[in-house]
Amino acid sequence: MGKYIAKRMLHLVGILIALSFLTFLLMYLAPGDAATKKLNAQGIAVSEEVLEKVRADMGLDRPFLAQYGDWALKVLRGDLGESYKDGMSVSGKIRKALGYTVQLALGSMLICLLISLPLAILTAIKKDSLADHVIRFFSFIANSLPNFLISVLLMYWLCVKARLLPVVADRSFKGLLLPSLALSIPMIGRFLRQFRAEILEQIGQSYVSGAVSRGVKSRYILFRNILHNASITILTVVGLQIGTLFGGSVVIETIFRWPGLGKLAMDAITNRDYPVIQGFVLFTAVVYVLVNLLTDIAYHWIDPRVRPE
Amino acid sequence: MKTSKIISLLLAAVLLLSLAACGSKAAEPQAAPADSVPAAAPAENPAPAAPEAPAAPETPAAPKILKLAESFAYASLDAHKDWNGWYTSIYGLTETLFKVGNDLSVQPLLAEKAETGEDGRTWTITLNPKAAFSNGKALTAEMVVRNLQRIGEVNDRFPEVKDYVIAAVDEHTLTITTPEIYPTLLTDKLTNAAFGIMDLDSEDLDNAPVCTGPFKIKSFEPEGTVEVEKNAGYWNGDVRLDGVIFYYMNDDESKLMAMQSGEIDGYSSVTAAAKEIYSADPSSYVLTVIPATRLQFYVLNENRLSANIRKAVNLTVDNDYIASYLGGTVSPAVGPFGASAPYGQVTKPAVDVSAAKAAIEADGYALNADGYYEKDGKVLTVNISYYFARSLDTIALLMQEQFKAVGIKAELNGVEDADSTYRASGDYDIALYCMIADQAGDPYYCINALFRQNSQWALGGFKSDECEALIDELSSETDVNRRAELANRIVQMVIDDNAFGFVGLFNKTTVAVPGVVNIGENSPFDFYGVSADTDMK
Repeated sequence: MGKYIAKRMLHLVGILIALSFLTFLLMYLAPGDAATKKLNAQGIAVSEEVLEKVRADMGLDRPFLAQYGDWALKVLRGDLGESYKDGMSVSGKIRKALGYTVQLALGSMLICLLISLPLAILTAIKKDSLADHVIRFFSFIANSLPNFLISVLLMYWLCVKARLLPVVADRSFKGLLLPSLALSIPMIGRFLRQFRAEILEQIGQSYVSGAVSRGVKSRYILFRNILHNASITILTVVGLQIGTLFGGSVVIETIFRWPGLGKLAMDAITNRDYPVIQGFVLFTAVVYVLVNLLTDIAYHWIDPRVRPE
Repeated sequence: MKTSKIISLLLAAVLLLSLAACGSKAAEPQAAPADSVPAAAPAENPAPAAPEAPAAPETPAAPKILKLAESFAYASLDAHKDWNGWYTSIYGLTETLFKVGNDLSVQPLLAEKAETGEDGRTWTITLNPKAAFSNGKALTAEMVVRNLQRIGEVNDRFPEVKDYVIAAVDEHTLTITTPEIYPTLLTDKLTNAAFGIMDLDSEDLDNAPVCTGPFKIKSFEPEGTVEVEKNAGYWNGDVRLDGVIFYYMNDDESKLMAMQSGEIDGYSSVTAAAKEIYSADPSSYVLTVIPATRLQFYVLNENRLSANIRKAVNLTVDNDYIASYLGGTVSPAVGPFGASAPYGQVTKPAVDVSAAKAAIEADGYALNADGYYEKDGKVLTVNISYYFARSLDTIALLMQEQFKAVGIKAELNGVEDADSTYRASGDYDIALYCMIADQAGDPYYCINALFRQNSQWALGGFKSDECEALIDELSSETDVNRRAELANRIVQMVIDDNAFGFVGLFNKTTVAVPGVVNIGENSPFDFYGVSADTDMK
């Protein structure tokens, strides 16, 4: 296991180098630069001389490899640099946004699991019943709806019409509810279908019919055997989704004023704030690799027969 | 085996929790409204003018706290850095030496007057002796000098300030000497929100600057909510509100719904769709629409388009139709400045399809079977370059439609960033753009940025020695009336040459609940917000 983890960590280094180089290159080639975005932000243009000076101050006039090299050396020293937009430290910005993203990710995942898992079990057990058809129909709708539409509809019904929650959410638990719910709805639709398929597959296995014929209680079979065996798939789906959620959700965060990583990344891209974009890319790559690694380790933990490769 | 038991138990717990949650779901709607009702004013209520319920006998009067939404938020309140000053001004924290009135005139604020010396380079500024910071400290010329010098140091947009000689003469008088004659010092700099005055001896300029405005900072969340409270000792009169909360909300739907749920009292930059909704309920919402200073225009590339084709283009583009299509968010423009400004007195020919066709035919074109003009087997085609913001994409589509009706084929070239693409390369026939034309009540900035031979738009090919001479004169002319006259002549020359087309000036559209007044709704500038006169009744 130790060797496996070391190998994956080595892969991570390679991924980070490749990814950061590619991102830096794409930003370098993309039209627009941070100096113009910063100085002309409110639609008032500055002279070309001022722009050139600021470009030089920011180092944007230097060759690509020199810019990338400087950045990489700073990162090796543990310094992600400062935001071009406001001069704040990139690591500080990511740390702050991460706190909000983690809250949103965990909140939405909790809601998602609390709803999707029982419904998946219900639809699997009651396969082809009316309940199964109705739930699957709604899961299809939930999975198809874009996030912004779900957000606006939820806001309209829960905040404007029913007055259950505030539109202007603060950073409290109450403020977290609506964005978590909006983020979880498409996940519920997707998870429900995947979990249901896996549970159905397990139900069709001979060990289940064997247990039934031996008179084992159905509740015991469900919790002790079926869910246990389905947990690897559940864990895979949840692990991958956690990685995605930790990358932030731009739409949800913008609509609900939730200052997470998605909003941070989107603002950085809009402002060509290269240090923040690079920091974000590095961070999400690390999270993705680590979450996948943890998921692999968890497989082995759940079922020792599964050996990480 | 133990671990698998734990996993099973965890899954079971999730299942049980979810069942419990499902079971209690029906009870939620009844329980929650009690918590939310007091905070929200019903949107359907025909008279929501009383957000504070009548006080119970023993309850003191509720503080007057206004809640507004803002589309931008910055990480710092240091007015001198970046664009923060726009927001510290909107928040009622910082004030400048002079301000621009709603009629575009320069008016005294922290300074009583400004006079130029005989050389035209030295300005003598006299401060208002009553002006003071919210901590009670009097505003001195020495503090203003330090502020101005700091702006040159920390704001990349104003490096030239470092070349000014700024000195305090006495406690309330200072002089600013510029290297060249600089008649627009007041409009370019001293009314500019980035030149807001702060007490530089205050401890935390980024999070809690001490300023001279009618409000002082109560709480500040970087790039988030900002709360200000009444500056009880405000030097310039009584402040009517007890405080204001500014919520950072850059999503239009969220702002609309926050208004509908009664959680905010107003905001600016209302979209056309939201405006329609508010207009339908005048008893609940008060809309204020005024022409502002953000200009939508296009450049006609004289290196590619003949004088007749340019003329045809300008005779075809129907600004009135475009403004109406954009739902009243813009007003049709004649020139780059509002028609009410003394330097906005220009004319242009009315839309005339027949005259446009005649101009094209004068260049030897004839209509083909497809309805497009053609010469030597080549269809008359123009490229319209635009970027996806400020409704320029919609304008490009509308122009394409209007050109088709005349017989000009238009190809659209949408980019994400105009500054580094077509504006930098000059690779366009028609280039759409949007910018603030009137920064603070003077035409020079726009004229210099657009019509100068070495300007960023010079790639459009407009050249006129006469115009250049007039711009030179404008750059040093100090008489306001003469400046307006020069500006009008310059712009008229540009219009007559069909070098540019001025499509629309964005309206500033503000919505508020009845009773809320003076939140900057009557100023054409985006950097004015709450003031001592802001009130909610």
